[in-house]
This record gives sequence, C-alpha cells and structure tokens, in this order.
Amino acid sequence: MRIRKEMFADERRDDLVLIGKPIRRQDIEGHVTGRTQFFDDHLVPGLLHIRCVRSSEHHARIRAVDTREAERVAGVRRILRYADLPKKAHNILTIFNFGIDDEPALADGKVRYRGEPIVAIVAESLRAADEAVAKVRVDYEPLPAVFDVEEALKPDAPLVNEYIGRNWFRYWGDYDCQQIRFGDVEAGFRQADLVIEGRYQMSPIEHAPLETNGCIVVPGEDGRFTVYTCTQGLHFSLDNVAAQLKLDTNRLHFIGGTVGGGFGGKVDTVVEPLAVLAAMLTGRPVRYVFSRAEEMQVSSPRGAERVYITDGVTRDGRILARKIVHYHDAGAYSRLSTYGTIKSAAHHPGPYYIPNVWVDSFCVFTNRTPSSAMRGFGVTGGDFALESHMDVVARAIGMDPLEFRIKNAYRDGDMKAHRKLTEGAALIECIQVAAELAHWPLSEEARRASSRIGGGGERAQIPPTPKARTRLAEPRARSAALEARRTAAAGPSRAITPPPAWTGGGEPTAGRERVEAERLRTAEPSAPPEQRPPEPPRPTHSHGALRFSSVFGSRRR
Amino acid sequence: MPLQLRTTDTLSEAAALLASERAARFLGGGTLLMRAVNEGDVSFSVIVRTRDPAFARMRTAGTRIELGAGVRMAQILASRDLAFLHPAARAIGGPAVRSMATIGGNLFAEHPYGDFTVALLALDARVQLASSLGVRELALEEFLRARGRSERVLVSGVSFERPADPSAFRFHKMTRTHPKGAAVLTIAALVPLIGGRIVGARVAYGAMAPTPMRARAVERALEGRPLTAEGIAAAVAVAAEGTDPPTDALASSWYRRRVIGVMLRRLLLGET
Repeated sequence: MRIRKEMFADERRDDLVLIGKPIRRQDIEGHVTGRTQFFDDHLVPGLLHIRCVRSSEHHARIRAVDTREAERVAGVRRILRYADLPKKAHNILTIFNFGIDDEPALADGKVRYRGEPIVAIVAESLRAADEAVAKVRVDYEPLPAVFDVEEALKPDAPLVNEYIGRNWFRYWGDYDCQQIRFGDVEAGFRQADLVIEGRYQMSPIEHAPLETNGCIVVPGEDGRFTVYTCTQGLHFSLDNVAAQLKLDTNRLHFIGGTVGGGFGGKVDTVVEPLAVLAAMLTGRPVRYVFSRAEEMQVSSPRGAERVYITDGVTRDGRILARKIVHYHDAGAYSRLSTYGTIKSAAHHPGPYYIPNVWVDSFCVFTNRTPSSAMRGFGVTGGDFALESHMDVVARAIGMDPLEFRIKNAYRDGDMKAHRKLTEGAALIECIQVAAELAHWPLSEEARRASSRIGGGGERAQIPPTPKARTRLAEPRARSAALEARRTAAAGPSRAITPPPAWTGGGEPTAGRERVEAERLRTAEPSAPPEQRPPEPPRPTHSHGALRFSSVFGSRRR
Repeated sequence: MPLQLRTTDTLSEAAALLASERAARFLGGGTLLMRAVNEGDVSFSVIVRTRDPAFARMRTAGTRIELGAGVRMAQILASRDLAFLHPAARAIGGPAVRSMATIGGNLFAEHPYGDFTVALLALDARVQLASSLGVRELALEEFLRARGRSERVLVSGVSFERPADPSAFRFHKMTRTHPKGAAVLTIAALVPLIGGRIVGARVAYGAMAPTPMRARAVERALEGRPLTAEGIAAAVAVAAEGTDPPTDALASSWYRRRVIGVMLRRLLLGET
C-alpha cells in the first residue's frame, strides 16, 4: 500500500515504523506448519458429546416431546430441555443493555425456524447421541409461516417471535425502523428531471468455515469450567455464557482466539451455553460441535436484505434526492441483526453528497434461519444495492458511470446525512486511479476533480428537514382461541415446559431479565424522539456502540 | 449400537457379510460413507472393508481394460495407459478426495456426484458383482437402473474396451465453481470416425436424470455424420430428449435442459 503523495502531499508522515510496512502475522508460522492448536485439538478423556433434536417445521407449536425411547439408548447420559435452562431466553446484545432477550437455547414450546434445537442429547459417543436423536418423537402443531420481509410486516402476518411481540424490532423505544431524515426528499424529487427506482435483493450467505462452530468444556475441581472454543469474541462469549447460565464470570475460563475460519459466523455463542450446561449437569467434560450440515443450515448466515432505492436526478447527473427503504431479514431471532440494521442506516446513502436523504432500515422477523454477523453485514448488502443503482441511474441519464460517481462523490467539508462533516473522503482520487489502471477514459473535468476542492460552503449546511416518522400498523390482536390453544399445549408429562404466558399487546412477560433490559432501554436520557432524529447510543450513557466495534471491528478473521 | 468395522481377506467374504447383514455398508475410499457417518447417519451400524489385492488391481495393457472397484482416482491419474480417462478422474473432488475415492464407490454416488460413472457409461463398461457364489457380470446401464434397490451388492470391478483412437473419447463437466464444483451437468462421448463419419457413437450424461444416462437420441442422430457443425446439428437439436434433470441448488431443471445442447455442441467440436 502506498499513499499517492502527488494527491495527498500532507497525508501521513514517512517515518512511521509499522504503518504502511509489510509485517508477518504472528500466528502464520503455526498455521503453515500445521502446529496451530484449534479447540478440537485438545484431547480430553471421558468426553461426552451433544447432538440436538432439531425442528423439521418452519413454525409450529410443540404439543409433546417423547424422549422415552431415546433415554434407553446405550450411552445416553442426559437430555437437556427448556426446563433445564437457567435463563429462559437470551440475546447476545442484552449484556450491553441493547435489544430484547428473545431466543430460548432450547425450544420453549414453539419452534420458529426449521432446524431450531428442541432438546439436546448428551451421550458417551456421537453415534449414541445420533441414535438417540433418531428416536425422539416430536408432536408438532404446524402454524402458518412467513418467509418474506414485506409479507411479515403486514398486520395479519403470523407473529414469529412473541418475545419481540411484533414482526419488527422497535428502535430506541419508539421507532419502527432505524431512520435518517435529511432535507426534503419529496421536494428533491419535484425538482428532479428524472426519478428512478430500483429494487435489490440479497440472498442469505453462509460463512462456510473449514472448522464448524464448536467447543469443548472441561469441569475443574475448583468449580470452574474451562472452555476451549472457536468463538471470534472470547470475552464477549464468556460474558454471554455467564449471563445465560447465571454464573459469575470467574467460574468460566475461556481458551481460544484461534479460529478456523470465522467471518462473523462465530460470535453468536450458540454452542458454548449448552455445552457448559451439560458439563454442569453431568460433571463430565462435554464436546459440542456442529456437523457440516448443521453449520450450513442452522448457523446464522448473512441475512437476506431487500433494498428499494428511489433517486431524483438532474439531466446533467446531479443526485438531488435519495430515498431508501432497507429490509433486513433477521430470521426468527434477533442475534446481531438489530445491530446490522443500524449499520445499514449508518452507511446509507453511500459515499455521495445528496442534499435530500430519507432512509428507513427495518429489522424484520421471519420463519427463516436467524441471520447475524458476516463481514460488514448491513453495509455490504447496502453497497450492492447502492452501486448497482448508481449504474442504473448513470445509464438512464446517458452518463459514464465513473463520471457520474465522481460528480456526486463526497468532498471534504460536505455535510453527511448523519450530520457529520466529511473529512478524508478521497473517493474521487480512488476512482481516478482505478480508471487510469483500467484504461477507462475520463473527461478532463473528471480527471481534474478533487475531493479537497468544491466541498463545504452551502454543502456543509443541514437543510430544513420536515419531521416524518414511519409508522407500521400494529398486528391485529391475537385471537382468544389461539391463545387458549397455546396455553393448552402443555401436553402430557413428558412435554417440555411451555414458556411463561405473555399478556396484552403481544408483549411477553418473559422473565425479569427482559423487563430489566426494557427499563434500561427506555431510560436512555436522549431527547424526546419527536424533536430530533434518532441517534446511535452515546458512549456517555451506554457503551454499546463502543463495544460493538471492539467485538466485531478489530477481530475479523 | 456402536459402529463396527469388519475387515475381510477376500472379496467373497466381504460379499457374504454384506448379504447377511442388513445394517452393513461397504467401505471403498470412504469419501461418501464416512461423510454419512460424520453427519450422523444411523441407518447402518456395520462397515465392511476388504484387504483382497484383486480389489485394487488394474489391467490396462490390452484392448480390454479391467479395473478393480477399489482403484482410486489418483491411480487412474498416475496411469499413462489411461490418459484418455484423466479428464474424468480429475473431475472428481480435489486432490485429497481423489487420493481416496474409488471407481467402485463412484458407481453408487448420488446426484450431483458420480461423474466418473458417466465416462464409464460412454465406454459401455461392464460391472462385475462379487458374491459368495462367484462373480457375475452385467452392463453398467443395467446396474444403474437397479442401483437404488441394490445397495448391498459388492462391485468387484469394471471392464471396458479401450477406444481404438483415444481422441475419440470426450469428457466435460460443467460446474459453477472451479476447479472443484459439483456438476451442473456432465457429458462423456465416444465418437469414433471411420472415413470421416461417426460410427458407433455413445453419449452419456450426468446430472440430467436421477442416475447417469445414455443419450440414445443423440447417438442415433450422430451415426454416419461428419464431426462438423452441420454434421452434429441434428444431434444438438435432440440433446435434451429423454432427460429428466433435477432442480437443485446448482441449477434448475429448465436451465440444464437449455444448456445441454450448447455443452454437447462445444464438446463434440472441441470448443470446451
């Protein structure tokens, strides 16, 4: 890497020791010589193994789970159920006081996606666990399922997640989406020569690491549990396991940091809680590793995102207004999608100066595999849509796609839609260099453009912004008959315990943890939402934003 | 029940074990069977393997080539006599898989795998089945028709005529990822030329039906024609006839039908 000093003469000193210099990765020697120890390289005698019975249905009430035959399989030591869970529902961001505990580690009387774990078999061998899994009988009462984000937002859509209470996540107490309002997009469209719409759809993408998610838990004499794990966020996972099992953090000793391929797919902390719980209940070392099929089907993928973009442009290639509606398919549970949605809003409208911007980013729940982190989730999907749309618009107005980008690119001093002044933009120069290397002809004007000239002034102002909040219609009240059927679903004695009843408005009273999270969430001392657009949480009253970057920003693999 | 591994000295002992145990499966190279074990398949509990040297024997010098079912893809690739089969052997997995995967196991590989079988089908191979009573032989096509119902038979080897002109044998596997993708479709063709005209054409497809299949309509349309764009036009026009391609994560049935003719034309004209 080098800095183009002819463009940025004053950027960066030349006498830095590390920055800008090649450096050997500290762990590369172990990797290329095959000496690196991964979690599964720890040989522990007397290991028990976990395999989960997984839902064959996308959305169903569980009438009963019959494990009698499975218990008789030789080598089965314990079957974990919902009733064994110390904390009935959890979300990995609630340890930062963000979000809602919305996911039981084992099914709570309902399954919300295909592949959801219902009970976990703990056995002397994987083979015995597999045989027991095949012998568990689950009696399902199928429910209507929803797989499309826009369908899920309709008032009569089936309710996916009762802990959330509606099929979308509500931000900052009172916003149905993460939104940006900057200027007046409708006025911008009226001034424009052309208004161009586009719809962009991503599919879920699985990280497909060589090493599937897994861990080995060894109970110690001192009451502590040593956890060898492939998690990407060692302390993040430790804190989450402690919260989920109601353990003091000093009872857990996590050993890891060596990840056999992560890409965001190893922060969800889905294997560790069950493995530690099994070790607690059996007093034996326990290994829980996803099979390849589990890794592909039930580990969180990058979520499917759908993005609608409407641009108002002038014939000479100036974007006057951009309106974006971005839907994140979170699947059945939040995991990190609530955060990914914030990221998408933070990234829109792309690296372009546009005087009128409107963004609605929705985090939507459907009966699909819960999605979560993957390499710039929210941002990558947004970029796919934004840059595809830039090409579409450039073609519509008959302009070269690179010239069109240079004309609209941020310049230093421009006000972003997020009310932050642009500095160090450099996009124009990047395009110029890329065009030069690709022998892409640029006009004299585009070649002479600079990110350091032409910004600021009028472009540094926050335009008058009408207040406009997007409100979704609340789901219709759940019918009394459905509620009665749900309560009756306790089933025979072998049925797993149903979740605590939730009352009124679709909001569950799902335990103290959730209520606490709710209280902290609404107690945020930000200004009333009516008076100004929503902002990300501030470090002064919630360190959530800082911790997000420390977990997901600095440890990418 | 824990998984048992039974090793036999001879093929006929292995065949007898397979015949007597409903829960037994035979281990060739293990690239399919051990994956099933790892993924928790509890439909079998006995794994049978054999040390019989005949199982991995290769006779490649004569006009009739005989290969033991335990011959691995890497052995094919190491044999100069079998150079015409190298493209087909190289189409199987990556180096690690090729060092284990056997040609016998490939005959049982379900869609989208089993590309080597497509090559053997175009060579009109015959399959030897071992049993405690001895060896019987049947045409590969017949074997494939009965495959779903004959999981517990033991294939001991295959044999086929060496093509008089190795360049008459063509093989192409179309994949979405390179170099190791699973097949969107696979085509193997034997197009011997006598006096500039095709005589005795055999064309086989993979991923165009539940099992590898012969493209009879194409074979008929090629007979007696020159190997030119005009000569093969009729064959290309009927390329999808008799096919029943699946829709899966790699391609739709519609797409496979649409591209089979394109890929066939390219293969026959040497444009792949």
